[in-house]
Amino acid sequence: MALISEASILLDGGRVSRGNLTKARIRWVIVALLLVFGAVAGRLIQLGTTVNDATIEGVARDVITATRPTLLDRNGLEMAVDIRVPSLFAEPRRIVDIEEAVTKLRTVLPELDEAWLRNKLTGDKGFVWIKRELTPAIEERIFQLGIPGIEFVTESKRFYPSGREASHILGGVNIDNQGTMGIEKHMDDDDLALLQELGIARDQALTPVTLSLDLRVQHAMYEQLADSLIRYQAIAASAVTVDVRTGEVVGLVSLPDYDPNDPGSINAEYRGLKNQRFNRITSGIYELGSTMKTVTLAGALDSGKVRMTDQFDARFGVRFGRFTIDDFHGKHRVLSVPEVYKYSSNIGTIKIMQALGKDDFRAFLSKLGFDKGVPFELPEMRTPKVPEKFSEIVAATASFGHGMSISPLHMAQAYAGFINDGVMLPVTLLKRSEAEAAELGTRIISPQTSIEVRSLMRLNALSGSGTRMNTYANGYRAGGKTGTAEKVVKGRYAVGTNLNVFASGFPLDDPRYVMVVVIDEPKRESPTTGTTAGWNAGEVTGRIVQRIAPMLGISPDFSQMLDDQLVPAAIR
Amino acid sequence: MIKTINAIMVFTSIAGLVGVYALKYSVEDIASDKAAIERKIDRQKGELSLLRADWSYLNQPAHVAPIVARHQAALNLVPIKQEQFGLMGSLPMRPAAPDTAALDDLLNSLDAGIDPIQQLIEAN
Repeated sequence: MALISEASILLDGGRVSRGNLTKARIRWVIVALLLVFGAVAGRLIQLGTTVNDATIEGVARDVITATRPTLLDRNGLEMAVDIRVPSLFAEPRRIVDIEEAVTKLRTVLPELDEAWLRNKLTGDKGFVWIKRELTPAIEERIFQLGIPGIEFVTESKRFYPSGREASHILGGVNIDNQGTMGIEKHMDDDDLALLQELGIARDQALTPVTLSLDLRVQHAMYEQLADSLIRYQAIAASAVTVDVRTGEVVGLVSLPDYDPNDPGSINAEYRGLKNQRFNRITSGIYELGSTMKTVTLAGALDSGKVRMTDQFDARFGVRFGRFTIDDFHGKHRVLSVPEVYKYSSNIGTIKIMQALGKDDFRAFLSKLGFDKGVPFELPEMRTPKVPEKFSEIVAATASFGHGMSISPLHMAQAYAGFINDGVMLPVTLLKRSEAEAAELGTRIISPQTSIEVRSLMRLNALSGSGTRMNTYANGYRAGGKTGTAEKVVKGRYAVGTNLNVFASGFPLDDPRYVMVVVIDEPKRESPTTGTTAGWNAGEVTGRIVQRIAPMLGISPDFSQMLDDQLVPAAIR
Repeated sequence: MIKTINAIMVFTSIAGLVGVYALKYSVEDIASDKAAIERKIDRQKGELSLLRADWSYLNQPAHVAPIVARHQAALNLVPIKQEQFGLMGSLPMRPAAPDTAALDDLLNSLDAGIDPIQQLIEAN
């Protein structure tokens, strides 16, 4: 018993010690398990917090592969599309044999500088561009080389199928596909950049942007202006066509220009000048000469202080201190309002402006938006120069378009308002329906004055300075005003260097379009022709109208009745 | 009893193992197929974008105009004149009844071997 009990004590002691051992083992196992699970958890946390570097030289990959919306003209023809092109990059830390990589790459791309390439591929960087925007054929050949660490990424490249024809409207993008000029810049400033940053703008899923432009009209205008540069040896030519009912710009050309597909052409020279970027319609501000007379007369007629039947004494020049303002081809007799317009009398226009009053005249210019840049999509815009307050002499010169500078777009917008029953619409490059436009208009003159202005414009085409335009645009009831402004060279007006303008509208019986054509420093076409605006800007307008009117759905009508209605016998 | 449970558990775990591995491999297969299809879609999208760019380039007035100019002489193309446009309203109204007498005259003269339309064409 004692043995047993002794044994049981022993056994008991053994059990206790075994139990202790087991407890210790369990503890160790728990510790080991905790360590293992801790390691797993730690690794998980580590993996979770690792930020994957998805940037390429600091630019997110999504931004580089991001697409831009297709730009369409008003008829759905593509003006700017994205094409997907391969770009070559290297991961230097993965390259095994740099010398081999350099030699092999240069067999396909011999234009790469050897030292430059070696320098690029050496080091521990994760990403370097080698050459961007290659062709699929070259991509295939480089793939065949099988160099480790040399890869491709598909980038979006902007392509402008219309080439030069709409360069100033479209603008351009840089190699990262960000808009730098024109409507491309406008879209980025708007909201596209944000979309791209968020990575939404991918896979060509963006809704196309429809512009107000009509590519056929744009082409006809481009062709005629390019022709005018040769025909009149002008240094520059530009034109804009606006739909008066909606304010949409259907054509806008400024020459010289550049090729948006070839950014290098921006820096090309044209007749010794580097100004291809310059959009003469929006960012050029000029003294637009006698085309301002339409503005002066519209303001005066609308005020009721001047009537169409009024007579103005244009026998003698108007004196301001030392200066006398006279007429260019003066009649030097008493002129009626239509005659003042038809003969483009400076004296008559000053008298009409004085009848309106210089402060009212200045207020009318503000009403037309001549104080600030035209609110327009294109970022290329300059503030016009119109004096804050008019003195007697400044008001006098401004009444016939001197001493104040505005852009041709200002003039087009104002003319559009004059002939659109007096309702001026803000011009736009985006497609707009007549219903949308209806809410945006501001009344600048009464419908009655609008009819009178149209009579004057048509009268000028029938028997004034616009007759040369009318011979070409015959049947389309076009009419307008010429402006021949001597350019300021070295601080004084230079004889023989003119800026010629023709501002017109058609068809004036049912106004649809306004066009402003500016020809810079034209020469005589032949010894028998002249250098005033009717001979060049006028003729160009006529040729353009002749081509574009049928495209815009305006059919010619030769009936005398229309002209009799437009221009009553009383004012002829 | 325990033996049966053990056997069932062993078999289940083997079946589970096989199943999980099969699933893993099939998922890998599908993933690589997907990647291949995505690459193909990407390539075709690239090609499509080039074709679309081509198409819009070929449709541009700027591209068509030189072609017209090149064939102007051969096809005798000239710009349309204002006088060449007409209005539906200026077309004469359709006669109330067919002019049978004129038609008879025409048929008679054709029978006699004179084709007035041919003469008109030749006269021009």
